[in-house]
Amino acid sequence: MNEQENEEFAFLSRKILELNKQLMESEKVKSRFLSLIASELNNPMTALLGMIPHLAPPAGDSREEIFELAHDEALLLESRIQNLVAASEIESGVMDVTHASVNPEKLVEEALEEFQYKLKRKNISVIVESSLKEKIVTDPKKLYLILKNIIANACDYGDSDAIVTINIDQKGSEVIVTVKNRGHGPNVKYKAQVFTRFSEGMEGSHGLGLGLSIARELCGLIDGKIDYETDAASVIFTVTIPVQAIQADSEACGSNEFLFESFDDAIEL
Amino acid sequence: MIHGSSIFIHVGQIHVDQAPQAISTVLGSCVAVCLYDRTLGIGGMNHYLLPFWNGNGLQSPKFGNISIPKMIEQMMAKGSTPKTLEAKIFGGASMRISGSEAMMIGEKNVLVAHEILNEYRIPIVAEDIGGQSGRKIQFNLERGKVLMKYATRSEL
Repeated sequence: MNEQENEEFAFLSRKILELNKQLMESEKVKSRFLSLIASELNNPMTALLGMIPHLAPPAGDSREEIFELAHDEALLLESRIQNLVAASEIESGVMDVTHASVNPEKLVEEALEEFQYKLKRKNISVIVESSLKEKIVTDPKKLYLILKNIIANACDYGDSDAIVTINIDQKGSEVIVTVKNRGHGPNVKYKAQVFTRFSEGMEGSHGLGLGLSIARELCGLIDGKIDYETDAASVIFTVTIPVQAIQADSEACGSNEFLFESFDDAIEL
Repeated sequence: MIHGSSIFIHVGQIHVDQAPQAISTVLGSCVAVCLYDRTLGIGGMNHYLLPFWNGNGLQSPKFGNISIPKMIEQMMAKGSTPKTLEAKIFGGASMRISGSEAMMIGEKNVLVAHEILNEYRIPIVAEDIGGQSGRKIQFNLERGKVLMKYATRSEL
């Protein structure tokens, strides 16, 4: 590069830095707004969900159906708020990853609990199979939200009167959770859009794309992967996460001698 | 010689600590900024891969324009001010000899460090940047000195 090119390069890079600052500022405003509404919505929701079950009418009561609909809608609203909160936390970049010993099967059961009415209404039966012998070390809240979002997807877009199969298997140092439902999934050629929120241009019915984009971001945070496959009659979503999320630093460095040799004859600055 | 223990940081990490701790890392086209506060005896090192956050995905400290301000904030939270801080910059080598010179990641990484430190008015007291070899550095928080060795291509 000659001097003139060098100068131009520096000038353009400075320009990028300047624009980047403006971008960050506008993103910050957006994130703050999102987190504000998230907490405003979250508080009354928690109270509602705590109290609604106490209003359950006795079995056989004519109001049972109304109660179930109300409870179902409240649970749905809660899921949406959870996603909104997660999106705002991911956006703000302050999401901490915790490590705890977790039984994925328990998380699946917990998530299914929330979809009980929807499953009943669409007459979907769920089969959960786990070959996992030990608990895994990961972030329970994030894994829960990932599983909940893909199970929600299976319930919403899967066929009625069908079976949803959830498998939890260990393969080497990874745990693989698959959720399989009958129905037409998003075409594989839209893979990029499926995991991007508010994406447009896909055929067929689909939601905001918030749930799966969150699932993907959360998977990234816990060193996992998410993917899906479709065939003529069914859709399989696969979540792969490490059995043990924390690894010793020494392992990460490997046995590279360069990292461990002494600093004899080093330059001091 | 490695005095005390040394913490190794990877891409996208920021580590702020105090003496007698030492912080080390290995750099190619990545850049590490070492900040040292003489009055408090605390220092920090980051290690970033790319100069600018592109607006997609998380604002993660693997980008220089996220990582450097974040580290300065962390130092300030511990009582530093730009007046008491000094900076040293390492890395930013051109690792690929053929082809993608046009990306000039190393140069951009260094430039973003200069710009941001200049903006905060933090003096750069030493730097070893550019070139074509990787670097291994160890930041000793006892005296704020950085030990540096070049890596040959085979070692990286």
